Amino acid sequence: MKLLDFQSEFEKVLDRKHFSAKVHPLREKAFNAFLDIGLPNRKWEDWRFTQFKNISQKFYKISEKKHSKITDFNFAEHNISDVDTITFYNGHYKEEFSDSIPEIQLLNGLEYLEHYNWKYDYPSDCPFELLNTAFMDSGLNIIIKKGQSIKRPIRFLIISSGQDEIMVSPKIHIDIENNSSATFIEHHVGNSSDFLINTSIQIKLLENSILDHIRIQSNSSKTTNISNIKVDQSEDSHYNFFQLAFGSDLSRLNLDARLNGKGAECSLNGLSLSNKTQQLGSHIITNHYSPNCNSSQNFKNILQDKSSAIFNGKTVVHKDAQKTDSRQSNKSLLLSENALMNSNPQLEIYADDVKCSHGSTTGALDDDALFYLRSRGLNFLNAQNLLIRGFASELFDLIKHDPTRNFILGKFNNWLNKNVKI
Amino acid sequence: MLNIKNLHAGIDDKPILQGIDLNIKAGEMHAIMGRNGSGKSTLSNIITGRDNYSITKGSIHFDNKSIMDWTPEKRSLEGIFMSFQYPVVIPGVNNTYFLKAALNAKRKYNGQKELDAAGFLKIIKTILKELDMDMSFLQRPVNQGFSGGEKKRNEILQMLTLEPSLSILDETDSGLDIDALKIIAEGVNKYRSSKRSFLVITHYQRLLKYIVPDFIHVLIDGKIVKSGGKELALELEEKGYNWLDS
Repeated sequence: MKLLDFQSEFEKVLDRKHFSAKVHPLREKAFNAFLDIGLPNRKWEDWRFTQFKNISQKFYKISEKKHSKITDFNFAEHNISDVDTITFYNGHYKEEFSDSIPEIQLLNGLEYLEHYNWKYDYPSDCPFELLNTAFMDSGLNIIIKKGQSIKRPIRFLIISSGQDEIMVSPKIHIDIENNSSATFIEHHVGNSSDFLINTSIQIKLLENSILDHIRIQSNSSKTTNISNIKVDQSEDSHYNFFQLAFGSDLSRLNLDARLNGKGAECSLNGLSLSNKTQQLGSHIITNHYSPNCNSSQNFKNILQDKSSAIFNGKTVVHKDAQKTDSRQSNKSLLLSENALMNSNPQLEIYADDVKCSHGSTTGALDDDALFYLRSRGLNFLNAQNLLIRGFASELFDLIKHDPTRNFILGKFNNWLNKNVKI
Repeated sequence: MLNIKNLHAGIDDKPILQGIDLNIKAGEMHAIMGRNGSGKSTLSNIITGRDNYSITKGSIHFDNKSIMDWTPEKRSLEGIFMSFQYPVVIPGVNNTYFLKAALNAKRKYNGQKELDAAGFLKIIKTILKELDMDMSFLQRPVNQGFSGGEKKRNEILQMLTLEPSLSILDETDSGLDIDALKIIAEGVNKYRSSKRSFLVITHYQRLLKYIVPDFIHVLIDGKIVKSGGKELALELEEKGYNWLDS
């Protein structure tokens, strides 16, 4: 897709009747900024591992009304019990497939911008974030009011379906006010052919608030899935992120957590399972701006066939962030000789009284461990499975909501059953 | 029970075992003693089916069946067990899960009903007590953070759980203090019976005070150079191995 192709699609966005013209200046500003910097290429340091053949070869059209009609989608397959679900289908909010959640404030894009008196204009140096703002089509915004503890997880079920080459751009804000807590599940599903889903999620955690964010990336293996998540954390807030990614042909998670207030903590975790020629990337930045903050990055990858994965993790400790405690770890398991892991753990420290660790290991299953298990009567397949489960298990323990953890474990087991061979 | 004839084996082109003959009958306990590098661990690894060795000559029979083509799991299921010199750490897999999976694999193989959690716990509780092990052992990941002694006790726990007919104890005494050694020896001695056989591999005579073998073989440069009764251990303790060098 060339810049001119984006231009012609952008003109269609501006002509759309149900998009408010009030938002146009915001879109135009972002689109112009996008045209100035263009699409990333491999010469960009932060993008050098990402394969762009999908985006350069396809022509993604914006999603039309006709794409909002739900055909042959099996909701039961993606059901998680004890959660409230909001459904989006090909970039369209589907009220009839969504629960009403009276305890929380849900605003559409225009309402949200008005609620905050248009103070957002989404500056960015990331082309996909700019594209998201220019093309934003779906998504709802959550506000959890002061002192509220929302027990039931709120799930956004984001479905990409159909044969057409389309792109969707959900923009989601999550604001957790002082002393509040919630769990947000971002669930990507669907059997689309060629699809570009370019999501932007902006999270604001006010003082002493907690958000558990669980991301399940289970799109069809033809999807290109780009996710831009920005988290701003005030004093003593906690952000816990877990992702299970096994869907998409090419995916790139750009997660940027900013610890702005003292005592804030973030725990960022992910497990990617890739096969065939998939490329799953995690680009994680933690910025420590204030003292006494804790952070961790723990990302694991299991790679089969000719797949590849990227961990580009960076922790930046700015000069005022004394007494920072940060950990960063990337461990990858190669199940095939043809799989490729790109691991790039980075630390930048500008303060002098900090505790920071980082590490990365990539390798095949341990022969000694396999022999040990087999010498106790477990067959080769079961021994492999046991070791792989052991490798991943600490991450699942982080999911507090039982039905969600069981759902994710089920998906993990399915993947193992299909991909771990003798 | 175990019958090894003229076994020659090595790694890559390097010969390690150069004609081992060993016959262990049901109910017997044999000990193999020798210096580092004499081939003791190679022998136990080959019996249990480790695949990075090449066997160039000879045969191994277990209960009159040739086991050369058997996978490690098949050997285990048929009743061969090795207590590892260096038990492997398996992060993220708790001991209960592992032991139960191993026991149920064996039960399934023997046509028995697989045990549920409660049935398993009942069996394992008694064994833990025998080895003076705490229940908390079961919740920990396999061998992770275990002391040397705890790892060896965990090996014996597995032996008593899986009830093999041939148990190979590879340097089980290394890393053990005297109290732990006594507990393990007691567990092993209680397990001895007319149907069960043992092959004990050790550097030192120390272990053989507590686990008394019927036969002792001295391994030098991949050959058994001397065999005898339990008194051979004392002789070795006194004279060292040098007097046996050719």
